[in-house]
Amino acid sequence: MDIIAANHLTKSYRQYRRFPGLIGSVRSLFTRQFTEETAVNDISFTIGEGEAVGYLGPNGAGKSTMIKMMTGILVPTAGDIRVLGAVPHEARKTNARQIGVVFGQRSQLWWDLPVTDSFDLHKTIYQIPETKFKQNLQMCMELLSIHEFVEKPVRQLSLGQRMRVEIAMALLHEPRILFLDEPTIGLDVMAKDQIRHFLRMVNRERKVTILLTTHDMKDIEEICPRMIVVNKGTLVYDGSVEELRARLGNERRVVIDFREDPGPLDMPGITLLQEEGLRKTYLVSRSESTVFELVSRIAARYPVEDASIESADIESVIRRLYRQLADEESIGRQIG
Amino acid sequence: MTPYIMFMTKSFTSQLAYRSDVWLRLLGNYFAILIQVEIWRSVIGKGESFGVTIDQMITYSIINTLLVALLLHGVSGKVDGSLKSGSIAVELIKPLSYPLYLLSDALGQTLYKFVFTVIPSLLIAWLLFGMLPPASTVSLIGFVAALLIAMLISFLLGYLVSLLAFWFMSHFALSWTLGGLITIFSGSFLPIWFYAPGWEFAARMLPFQYLGYVPAAIYLGNMSQVMLWQTLLIGLAWIIALLTIVQWLWSRAVRRLIVQGG
Repeated sequence: MDIIAANHLTKSYRQYRRFPGLIGSVRSLFTRQFTEETAVNDISFTIGEGEAVGYLGPNGAGKSTMIKMMTGILVPTAGDIRVLGAVPHEARKTNARQIGVVFGQRSQLWWDLPVTDSFDLHKTIYQIPETKFKQNLQMCMELLSIHEFVEKPVRQLSLGQRMRVEIAMALLHEPRILFLDEPTIGLDVMAKDQIRHFLRMVNRERKVTILLTTHDMKDIEEICPRMIVVNKGTLVYDGSVEELRARLGNERRVVIDFREDPGPLDMPGITLLQEEGLRKTYLVSRSESTVFELVSRIAARYPVEDASIESADIESVIRRLYRQLADEESIGRQIG
Repeated sequence: MTPYIMFMTKSFTSQLAYRSDVWLRLLGNYFAILIQVEIWRSVIGKGESFGVTIDQMITYSIINTLLVALLLHGVSGKVDGSLKSGSIAVELIKPLSYPLYLLSDALGQTLYKFVFTVIPSLLIAWLLFGMLPPASTVSLIGFVAALLIAMLISFLLGYLVSLLAFWFMSHFALSWTLGGLITIFSGSFLPIWFYAPGWEFAARMLPFQYLGYVPAAIYLGNMSQVMLWQTLLIGLAWIIALLTIVQWLWSRAVRRLIVQGG
């Protein structure tokens, strides 16, 4: 059963043209020129219950707009979306009880109140029964180590502490889906790690469906087996992380330590990338032959001390994907 | 405790932080009443005007000054703030009715003003200027009912303006206009019975009279019993009409919603 289904979903905004300067601002009063900005363009996908999906794309790709449509804040311009079997903006209140939302850049806590008060207010708003509330709070406080600052007013918390509280709060009413919009933005490595482990547990053990947007590929690698990549409003990839790596990461690096300088290698399918004395890094395109074969051929002909094969990390895979998209676009422009 | 009662108590208690405000408000109300009393004393003198005595006019002024203080709520300002900062997103992901959430916040403020501004001001005004009691028991019951109607109409008008602000992205001009219309047509400064027939007709056709003239006139017993119940019924009809408009506007407004700042 699909818990989220988007079908040819589109959201566009009208942006009224403004003219610069004082005279321009007077002119803006009398003109109604506008451009139609399409933040989400004809996107379709489905997400099953219990999945963990990373939704990524460069800045301005329409990720936040998508989350806001799924949570019922924004109304789509065209197409339809169903979350928990209902149209989100129509069933906003009923759906709200079954979803948790965390905005990395916008706090849901009460700024002047201690953390505990925010939890209590949340309990009242969501009408959470006492025992269930205590249980969930206990679990979240322990796993996210919130105990140390639970009595402090929210405004005194560090960003990492605040983020942990936001995530805990989004889970107190036991939502079936958790939406996270850039939950690790601006956090240090330790805080990121803790949040990732926690979200992984929430998804794997408590079976909460997770959809998160991020710019940090480690978030995807640790939490989400599946990812959806969007660019300028359109969907460009939907599938597993491995598959994308196989599709784009068909190059590997080989680092070889030589006993003495072999000079330029006479070997097809490799290019020298970097040279630090006797340590040389080569780029190997996998289509030629298996990397392992190639390395053993080199070792047979040259004085090799040690060799290591590095696979492309997800970050460089994504970078390649974005670059490829930008290239395709500029070619499109030249033709059109 | 339901969430709405909680929001009401929260809005009530958060006002307690501004305690020096209480004294300034009392002083402000004192001056507002003093000025009106002096004006009516010089206009009416000791006699009668339009069948109204000076004592009635003073009571009318006191009731209206305190009504203005009581009905002042920051609904459109609050919505405007959430729209501009984008925090409306956070308000909309909660399982709450947005208008009821705003209403409970406004009621908390009203309650605070009732306890800390209206009641002390009333005592001061009663001691310094003298105030007539309600004309009859029926007047008193009618007055309380009119007060509740006034609070709802005032809230709905503010909410209406804040929904219109979805189209204009700023509520200031609209709130200003609404303020002007209320000042003229509520009769809070100049009772409607002084108006020229054309203006009086306009004022009676509009909902603004419920924010000033109607409660005061009922308190003073200026309306026949039949007329009183009729007026209250029309007030209820206004509430239903405004509710319908507001519901419809909301369904249009959410389509225009843009969340600022990502």
